[in-house]
Amino acid sequence: MPRLTDPDALEEEEIEIRSAADLLPLAWTADLAEYALDLRWSPDGTHLAALPSTGKPQLFDLAEGEIIDLPFHLGGNGSLAWHPRGHTLATFGQDGMLRLHEIPSGNSRELQLPRGWTERCAWNANGSLIAAAVGKNVHVIDATTLETNRIIDDHRSTVTDLIWHPVLLDQLATASDGGARMWRLGETKPFARIDDGVAAVLTTWSPDGRWVVTSDQTPSVHLYDLKKRDPLYIQGFETKIKAFAWQNGGTPDLPWLALSGSPVITVWPCYGKNGPRGAKPHQLYGHLKEVTALDFPKDGPYLASGARDGFVLLWLPHHSDGPALIAREDQEITAVRWSPDGLHLTYGTASGKISIHSLNPEATR
Amino acid sequence: MTSKLPVTVLTGFLGSGKTTLLNRILTENHGLRIAVIENEFGEIGIDHELVINADEEIFEMNNGCICCTVRGDLIRIIGSLMKRRDQFDHILIETTGLADPGPVIQTFFVDDEMKDKLTLNAIVALVDARHIPLHLDSSEEAVKQIAFADSILLNKTDLVTAAELDALEARIKAINGVAKLQRCQNANVPIASVLDIGGFNLDRAIGIDARFLDPEYPFEWGGILEAPAGTLTLAASQNPDPSMTAVIIPVNGTDDESLAFAREIAVRAFSHKAIEAASGSVLSADRIPYDLVLNDGPMQWTCKVDASGPLAIFTQHYPEELGLKFLAGSEELHPPIAASYKPDHTHDEAVSSVGIEVDGECDAKKLDAWLSKLLRERGTDIYRMKGVFAIRGNPNRFIFQGVHMLLDPADGGPWGNKPRRTSLVFIGRDLDRDSLNQSFRKCLA
Repeated sequence: MPRLTDPDALEEEEIEIRSAADLLPLAWTADLAEYALDLRWSPDGTHLAALPSTGKPQLFDLAEGEIIDLPFHLGGNGSLAWHPRGHTLATFGQDGMLRLHEIPSGNSRELQLPRGWTERCAWNANGSLIAAAVGKNVHVIDATTLETNRIIDDHRSTVTDLIWHPVLLDQLATASDGGARMWRLGETKPFARIDDGVAAVLTTWSPDGRWVVTSDQTPSVHLYDLKKRDPLYIQGFETKIKAFAWQNGGTPDLPWLALSGSPVITVWPCYGKNGPRGAKPHQLYGHLKEVTALDFPKDGPYLASGARDGFVLLWLPHHSDGPALIAREDQEITAVRWSPDGLHLTYGTASGKISIHSLNPEATR
Repeated sequence: MTSKLPVTVLTGFLGSGKTTLLNRILTENHGLRIAVIENEFGEIGIDHELVINADEEIFEMNNGCICCTVRGDLIRIIGSLMKRRDQFDHILIETTGLADPGPVIQTFFVDDEMKDKLTLNAIVALVDARHIPLHLDSSEEAVKQIAFADSILLNKTDLVTAAELDALEARIKAINGVAKLQRCQNANVPIASVLDIGGFNLDRAIGIDARFLDPEYPFEWGGILEAPAGTLTLAASQNPDPSMTAVIIPVNGTDDESLAFAREIAVRAFSHKAIEAASGSVLSADRIPYDLVLNDGPMQWTCKVDASGPLAIFTQHYPEELGLKFLAGSEELHPPIAASYKPDHTHDEAVSSVGIEVDGECDAKKLDAWLSKLLRERGTDIYRMKGVFAIRGNPNRFIFQGVHMLLDPADGGPWGNKPRRTSLVFIGRDLDRDSLNQSFRKCLA
């Protein structure tokens, strides 16, 4: 039974954790040789796309064991996003180039957007539109014609994140200085906003479409209840929030929001009349350094986390059992992702190591 | 343990030469890979270097520091650069000409990740020698850029006279007495003097000498003459005051170093009782202060020079105020190097440096209470702080640096055999030297 001990964390309570080696043994590794910025599974789980901070994005065909190099973005890679229904992978970088790679055919299409700081591209729920943030503007692009439908330009500063509504095709949220804005295509002004006055960093939309949540440069998080048109401000965290994940399965009441930036993961109920307002969250202790990545399976209860301590841990947030150890690396964990079927977990590190751990059916019996 | 990536912040008004300097840094063969974050207009497209344009994004931190504003764009961009850190040796941040450097600097004090992964090498201010006097009179940002700097490059020195340059340099030193000051043209300075300053490094912090921060020199002028063997005559024609103190000091050369050496001797000499010397008296070139008695009409004093060589002379007032000339026989001698020490009485700078140096040890609790109170009450006016403390019961130096209300303390290593003393420096607005000194002394153990 491994123990989390670290001479740098003398004041940390020593926490015993179980090993998850039997449950999720290591199945596969690869080396990006660069900081793993993001990892994304294709919707059918056959491919894993890996985005290094610079250099060529790589596509792993897990069935065939092939590695496909994709063109890199000059000045650094920004983000990648799979088409929600198909085999098209979008990559976007600091060169302002949006590339759509058709995976079966190997063909790709490109759209050169203006230069500016780029953080994110994202597809809408049916993949008809793709939005790309360039500086203070968000370009909403027709995925078929690659023509820009609309430029959303009412932001005080660089757009740091964007996300589409999980179901509705014409709504998206953007994060920038001053908070988050929620837009309806065809309207010139945001239909809702979180005005926090501080530069927003990340934004996420709950799977039921009710909540838009934003983190910013302070140790706080802002939620906006679209159902009640009610903003909620939660502060008191140790550090600014760097990771979100939504739980949307495995318990009767859903969804739950896991978030973290410090070694402690906090999980808030986001259901019922009031959501997190007045509720007591679960607080998960186990990591020794700041948590950098969180993910729930699409419809399951197992929360995976990665942190600067190099640990990848597995949690059941609503049970009192402590975490289980999936892996310990000597580098910061930068991304964790469950496969769409929830049977595989991948993570990446700051040095570019990528691993996949696969569920052992024997161990689940 | 991974080393921290050094960051240099480059400030300066529009037209001060920042772009020229940036171009030199990016094109010169110094072997460093530099990422430039620029906040100015336009782009500099240089092979294999990365230049990122940032949208200025300043926000206030809700951390109890009422003057704590931070640059969100910097956190984001540097965070991204850190993910590719193996490729860069240095980050250079160019601020806009009109920017207050405070939020940029505070960003490095506030954000945990930035503190963890980066080290603030230096704040370098580029100053246009011709136009900065106007900016200093009209722009608080220009004053702040100088006040916050670790290194000041006095650029375009070819566009002003030597006297104007001296006056400007003295004025800058009155604002910021600790910054390293270099004169240059076309921003032509060794790149190492920009990128290798270590302004916030331990060595530099330990090297603070607060004694040299006092701008209250007892003389207004000092210069070095190449005096031939024989007799040096000081001839005056006006008497603005009944007397004027002067001292003559033999030196080894006619360079800056010799003048600085003589200046410190002169400070000590002026603290002694001066010998009254009526017109016609013979003076000694032996560090003796003389009160030259001033009358109506021509006056003169002589000094015997045994062997030709450089002589430094420091005078209580400017030589021109009493029509003072230096003569070897009938030939007038002009000093090849001279400096003003109170160049312009009309510029009583609101922003200034105050240095405190005290032998002995501080009481940790008293010091903590004093600093807390001081920063709570005056934090908005204190732009920069640096200090090295001897704390009773602590065998190591205790050092700190700060910006406004934010302090970053550190262990400065053992004192060893060196005398335990405290040196600290404040640069800020409306600082009361006496009050700071007196209140600090109550912290002594």
